[in-house]
Amino acid sequence: MSSREADATTGAARDADLADAGGTTDTVRRPRAAASGTLRLLGNELATLFTRWRTWAMLGALALIPILIGIAIRIAGGSSAGRGPAFLDQITGNGLFVGIAAMTVAIPLFLPLTIGVTAGDAIAGEASHGTLRYLLIAPAGRIRLLVVKYLAAAAFCLAGTLTVVVLGTLVGWLLFPIGPVTLLSGDEIPVGEGLLRFLAVAAYVAVSLLGLSAIGLFLSTLTTVPIGAMAATSILAVVSQIVGAIPQLEALHPWLFTDRWLDFADLLRSPPVWDSFAANALLQGAYVLVFGTLAITRFVTRDVLS
Amino acid sequence: MSPRTDGRLRSRALLWIPAVAVPAAIAAAVIVPMQASAAVDLPDKTVAELLEFASTSDVEAFSGTIEQTSELGIPDLAGLTGAMGGAGSGSADAGARGDDAAQPADLDDLISLATGSHTANVYVDGSLARLQVLDQLAERNVYVDGEAAEGWFVDSETKTATHVVLPEGTDPEQLGAEAEAHADVSAEEARARIEAETGAPLPTPEELLDRALASLDETTEVTVGTDARVAGREVYELVLEPRTDDTLVGSLRFAVDGENGMPLAASISARGADEPAFRVAFSEVSFEAPDTSVFEFAPSADFTVTEREIPIPTEQELAEWRAGLEAKAGGAHSGEQGVPSPIVHGDGWATVVELPLPSVDAEMLDSLTRAVDGARVLETSLLTVLITDDGRVLAGAVPVERLVEVAAAGAADTGR
Repeated sequence: MSSREADATTGAARDADLADAGGTTDTVRRPRAAASGTLRLLGNELATLFTRWRTWAMLGALALIPILIGIAIRIAGGSSAGRGPAFLDQITGNGLFVGIAAMTVAIPLFLPLTIGVTAGDAIAGEASHGTLRYLLIAPAGRIRLLVVKYLAAAAFCLAGTLTVVVLGTLVGWLLFPIGPVTLLSGDEIPVGEGLLRFLAVAAYVAVSLLGLSAIGLFLSTLTTVPIGAMAATSILAVVSQIVGAIPQLEALHPWLFTDRWLDFADLLRSPPVWDSFAANALLQGAYVLVFGTLAITRFVTRDVLS
Repeated sequence: MSPRTDGRLRSRALLWIPAVAVPAAIAAAVIVPMQASAAVDLPDKTVAELLEFASTSDVEAFSGTIEQTSELGIPDLAGLTGAMGGAGSGSADAGARGDDAAQPADLDDLISLATGSHTANVYVDGSLARLQVLDQLAERNVYVDGEAAEGWFVDSETKTATHVVLPEGTDPEQLGAEAEAHADVSAEEARARIEAETGAPLPTPEELLDRALASLDETTEVTVGTDARVAGREVYELVLEPRTDDTLVGSLRFAVDGENGMPLAASISARGADEPAFRVAFSEVSFEAPDTSVFEFAPSADFTVTEREIPIPTEQELAEWRAGLEAKAGGAHSGEQGVPSPIVHGDGWATVVELPLPSVDAEMLDSLTRAVDGARVLETSLLTVLITDDGRVLAGAVPVERLVEVAAAGAADTGR
């Protein structure tokens, strides 16, 4: 896997940075600059995340979903109502729906996978590269490091969902006629309002993934093998969706972090149902609180040997 | 919070406290309000007072969210309707099929609406009403405009919008007046009949209600239950319990708003069950007039629009229909008409209805039912259906044993 090689290179580069004390981007990580605040630490973390090849490879994979959907439907023709994933049949009539159809496809597996990689790698990745103890030598504090790592993962959630929706909309714009957006309720809204709703959908899905990010971060503090934390996070997302599909376990459903993932469609109704946005945020908030606390507890009490 | 070298063990133990405390705090935050809402005390009302209070409710406008849950114990019908010759809405020929195929699709919709769990928003403002069924990634809508005498049924999955209108030239107000006139005539008739029967002048509405309650009381125990809370509103609870043990129905419960008398919840429980088998209840309700924009609907160009006129029966047709009904009621047991009429066994809650067997897909029947002595039976928590091998269908809200008994008695009667 090329992304792993890219990791190794990044890790090596950072080690070199730390060793020669004359790096350009990683200066904050040395004791001298560590006091300059969480914001600089966050800025640095984001820079590290979004200069990684792996991050761009994952965003590229997400971008492929709307591109493939757009090209496939352009070549093979549209599907009839009620067949295939939701919104797929609307694409030929209105290209703007490529982004939403791609989102429906990406939510169950692709997005959780990328989140699993990002969040699962957060601490375990540093540990496996042997860079974690250098990070902690700085008086930045373990909790602050966790918070920064989590915020970076959250930023990736937003980047991922925006990639799918924005790129999908652009692809649809290029390949298909566009027009007023048909809502689930059966009436139309102008293109501008429709685009705003699509952005709201991206925000909704990004919020939906915050709980999974917190779980990934916690798992990441448990191990020094990043691939383990990544796999465990992704598997948990799938398991949660399977449990959500079994009617006999209905009592558990409201407690699953995946329970409201597909309710983003509530924003495409007339009038938009914002209740589910709030309920989803509350659910994800509870997961962030519980697994954030667990992660802090684990990380603060852990012996960092690598 | 950097690691310390002294007192490390103690601080480690202390640090685990939040990991326990946070989930505990969340659980408390969820459970405590549930407990607090239990204490509701409205001024006491008798059953008659409560019924009158509910019937005089004058709520004109409201909006809210309705949750429907049903645990009828029916086998999964979604797969069943799909097996019935592609009547499901997702079939490939959905666009091509004609109007005559619309019936099974409607049945499909009805079954799925009645059985699953659903959330719907409801908006009512005077003669305007809208029901919005929120499905996952889909939506169904019913718009009714009483003044313009039109309505829409919209289904996002099939992308269809059906525009229902009264025939042109019909004046809805005149219709309303006619209906009222009819009601008046019926009321006059009823009044005359009651006066003739009892030899006394017409009783007041309260007396009528008392009488109705008394006759209901023979079969059913009607009580006012404990006050509760539905959708954050304080409600009275009206409980109907069958007096007989021969039925599967345990109780019917209705929640009536303590302030304005609007029904906010209804549920049916099977005998001995803790959870209702079927429940419809508001989870949120507001008695302010909803924004007028929620009633506006203009179908998108993507939707297939069907126009459908509802024929309004003329007076003559109505009279014929009524005469037909009466004739049927008179000759129900003769069974000489072309249309088979049901035979009714027993009364009250233990009523069993018997029908000749319509043509059914045998394979489908076998997958749904289980065999009993000389028949096949379909059991749900509230309703039992028995299909005898000699071609009769018996149904009722009763245990299987009673159906078998009735079926055996019926067979003996006809000398089989």
